[in-house]
Amino acid sequence: MILLRLISWPYACKHLLRVLLTTAGIVLGVGVFVGMRTANKSVLAAFNQTIDRIAGASQLQVTAGDAGFDEDVLDKIRELPEVRAAAPVIEATVGTGQNNLLVLGVDMLGDRNIRNYDLEGNDEAIDDPLIFLAQPDSLMVTKKFADERGLKVNSKLPMRTMQGDQVFTVRGIMKPGGLANAFGGDLAIMDIYAAQKMFGRGRKFDRIDIALEEGTALEGATGKLQTLLGSGFQVEPPSSRGQQFESTSRMYALASNITSVFALFIGMFIIYNTFAIAVTERRSEIGILRALGATRGQIRTLFLTESAIAGLAGTCVGVLFGIAMARAMSGYIGGMLTEIYGVAQSPGDLTLDPWLIGTAVAMGLVTSLVAAVIPARSAAGVDPVKALQKGGFQSLGEGENRARRRWALAFGVASVVAFAFNRFWFVTYAGFILAILAAVLLSPALSFWLSRALRPLLAGLRPVEGALAADSLIQAPRRTSGTIAALMLSLALVISLGGLARSSYDSLAEWMRIALNPDFFVTTAETLSSRSFVFPGSLADGLRGIDGVAEVQPVRSVRVMVKNAPIMIIAGDIGMIAKRVHLPPVEGNSEEMYRLAAEEKGVVVSANFARLHNAHMGEVLEIPTPAGILRLPIVGVVDDFSDQQGTLLLNRALFIRYWHDDSVNVFRVYVAPGADAPQVRQRILQAFGGQQRLFVLTNREVRDFITKLTDQWFGLTNVQTAVAVLVAILGIVNALTVSITDRRRELGVLQAVGGLRNQIRHTIWMEAIAIGIIGVALGLALGAVQLFYSIEIARRDLVGISIDYAYPFQTALILIPVILGSALLAALGPAESAVRGSLIEALEYE
Amino acid sequence: MSKLLLFLLALPVFSQDPRQIILEVQKRQHSDSQRYEGTLEVTSQGNQVATKRWVYQRIGSFGNSKAILRFTAPAEVKGVGLLIVNHPDRASDQWMWRPAIGRDQRIALQDRSTRFFGTDFSFEDLEERDVDQYDYKLLADEGGMWKLESRPRKSSQYEYSYFWIKKDNYTFVKIEAYNKKGLVRTIDYKNYEQIKGIWTARLTEVYDVVRKSRTILKYEKLEYNLPMKDDDFTLQALRRDL
Repeated sequence: MILLRLISWPYACKHLLRVLLTTAGIVLGVGVFVGMRTANKSVLAAFNQTIDRIAGASQLQVTAGDAGFDEDVLDKIRELPEVRAAAPVIEATVGTGQNNLLVLGVDMLGDRNIRNYDLEGNDEAIDDPLIFLAQPDSLMVTKKFADERGLKVNSKLPMRTMQGDQVFTVRGIMKPGGLANAFGGDLAIMDIYAAQKMFGRGRKFDRIDIALEEGTALEGATGKLQTLLGSGFQVEPPSSRGQQFESTSRMYALASNITSVFALFIGMFIIYNTFAIAVTERRSEIGILRALGATRGQIRTLFLTESAIAGLAGTCVGVLFGIAMARAMSGYIGGMLTEIYGVAQSPGDLTLDPWLIGTAVAMGLVTSLVAAVIPARSAAGVDPVKALQKGGFQSLGEGENRARRRWALAFGVASVVAFAFNRFWFVTYAGFILAILAAVLLSPALSFWLSRALRPLLAGLRPVEGALAADSLIQAPRRTSGTIAALMLSLALVISLGGLARSSYDSLAEWMRIALNPDFFVTTAETLSSRSFVFPGSLADGLRGIDGVAEVQPVRSVRVMVKNAPIMIIAGDIGMIAKRVHLPPVEGNSEEMYRLAAEEKGVVVSANFARLHNAHMGEVLEIPTPAGILRLPIVGVVDDFSDQQGTLLLNRALFIRYWHDDSVNVFRVYVAPGADAPQVRQRILQAFGGQQRLFVLTNREVRDFITKLTDQWFGLTNVQTAVAVLVAILGIVNALTVSITDRRRELGVLQAVGGLRNQIRHTIWMEAIAIGIIGVALGLALGAVQLFYSIEIARRDLVGISIDYAYPFQTALILIPVILGSALLAALGPAESAVRGSLIEALEYE
Repeated sequence: MSKLLLFLLALPVFSQDPRQIILEVQKRQHSDSQRYEGTLEVTSQGNQVATKRWVYQRIGSFGNSKAILRFTAPAEVKGVGLLIVNHPDRASDQWMWRPAIGRDQRIALQDRSTRFFGTDFSFEDLEERDVDQYDYKLLADEGGMWKLESRPRKSSQYEYSYFWIKKDNYTFVKIEAYNKKGLVRTIDYKNYEQIKGIWTARLTEVYDVVRKSRTILKYEKLEYNLPMKDDDFTLQALRRDL
């Protein structure tokens, strides 16, 4: 404690900027970790909260995927003596200009057995329950929604429905709290039978919520209901919907976790570097302490305690930074997940998980302690006699460590072997980690070699300054190795993410070219992922009758639980599709698979479904349908990007028979040769646009939408790039500061013999740029290796789709000036401090 | 002692057997059909009054009757109808018709306890159950009235009800309906008149004890034993617009 007060505190006060920079490493790491996890958790929590609030008193929910089921299922359920109340539900999201509105269609007669609508004023706030039921335009909204839009009882709210543009009347306003807080308060209730018309659902329900008689065991009732309804239905507690959403969006959660852990890992290098600097700077101080009788243990503890304090402070600020970041990101993530997965949720308040905060604090502390172990050990190992001598600090210029290189070589070889034999997931992941470790261990040696290689170039540019800058790096490679390693790691991550994005875009573009070749897509929403509204199948004939339309392919897409995962079923007329779309089979024969699928003798599955769910050609899939289990063999595997969990392509006639559902999500429309496409589009809109909710998207618009979704998905890359730039700036400032301290005498002599201030400045700048060049070179190289692993991990565990290796040269080209510019920017402060230092003091060192 | 026994035996049987009392009530109120135009006034706790009108038609009598009730005013609810098919051995079947969305909806048993379209009646209150679907107990015989307790044998929102029946003309005066938590609803029958020899209340007042709201149903143009057809009491008939 005394040492901390007498030694550490004055040092910290004197090097406030340095301390802040050290802390910034942890702030960054912890902030990104807390921010991304909290944002994800908040989105998931918002979804779970919505489910929970909407579920009301229901203990069980009956669903059949998201396709819905016939109304008569309700009567069957109500017959069971264990069932106290069964309430049908239709759930859909509607755009209202501002936020999405979650519309809940419920049976207004009996729904209060399940849900409690706490209304403004008294119950009469549903101005008249009979009018509410009698008039299909009746809507009950939350107070929050009403206040935001200035709505009162009897106010009008326009919405675009399957019945065309409709004006709804607010007939009740729900008080805040409970159900009214679901979906962030953007909730409306309407009569279920009116909702069926509004959303084009025919005589189907999405779900039935069930409350059981008192004393009924949940498991027993579940079993009875399951037996009654058959295996085509899912009978589960409401909470399982949250689990499904979590499983659907797990890929995004995993990707963001990797990003945050990486940020912390990089933060560790920053701390390491800063403490290595501190040890260098305080060498004489340590020597005095040791001479006065301080033990090695005390010195080690002093540095570790300093690091722990800095880590704790950084962690606290990092947590706050993370919360602010989460606040900014949760809306973005929520919107993105809604668009990608078509699952409605709206994050309201942030969900702060004490465990997450605790983990972040522990991680921040452990990271800072681990990072300080090596500098603390070298501080403890300082020889007091040598430390009290004036001169260069040899401890930072020891040259390469042979043992490190040997380890690096061993790890590198093991990594290559692991990549070659990557049949098991843990071998792949081990190989990935080994490759990174090898690169980290090798970074001092590589820095040394690259510095030597750079010397002639730098000397060629500026003979004196260039040579001095290069020599500074050559003489003390370990001084900058921490910075270079941190830079290398973050750039490698940017490259691997960028490469993954680039490779994905290429594969996606190829798939869109083949699969999305109709001229128009007639949809019920501006986005293809929204499945709230559906068309009646009969619209196909109407579209076929439009002048200039050559072919219309109705497609229905629903999510169904197959192999315990929500899988997208795409039901289309396979015979027609096969004539227009020739997706190259990953397994099976193209003609044969389409023929068999058209004859309803099999199902074509996407490669990601096959990989992620361990399915193979010939395997008989059990697909739950409202009419029972549909058993179909896999007759072909194709690369298909329609859904991240995988897709099953079925013949539509088969779907109609088993699901009793002829509704359509999208009509793929081909224009006749010679017909004017814009005119055909106009004719479709004129013929049907006024009668119902209908959008005609061009091929380009659909492709742009998918590209936009992919852009959002890879938006994480931007966070990574920002982290990389910050790492570059922080690391380089630190490295240069120590470099200047280390070379005070050298720089002093240079000035004493007539060296100009500008020459000193240029020397520092060139050193910074050299660090940047080395970091960029190593980062781009390691990124190339990391990309191999990333693609393999993505293929195997995330998207399941084969992605061709494509190095992101464009990203690399952007990174070079960004990082070098950042390096130069980082050098400005240290360079000024070098030229403004006291010459006498600098020369005194000799 | 023997005199007292003799005296008790000499009383009419129905005056002692509560089931017989109910049977006598039903017998005296029996008609092959009934029609009236009802005016409903629902007064909320906040003294807001909503008025609606309906036309009610019934064919058959207790336990075997069918009824259609159709709203005529206000304009927003015109055409909304309810078909009730009573059964002697079980709860009635009920369907609601909503012309604005053009579909009928079966009123589930679980929903019978809910309020009937914002009134203080429940759907169950509109049923005419057979006498054998209840157990009766005579609780008191005072002030010219019998007080009976009725407990449903089959599923009902009510645990039990108390009936007050006038002894002189076998008409209901008041009903108190209780669930597990206590008194939920009272029904008062007022303004009795004889129509075609049947003592008929021209006003029914329902008070919802929990919500503290009141519904008054006034019977106008009430007629009995009009010629009616079974075909007018079907789902198809319900779906017909006014």
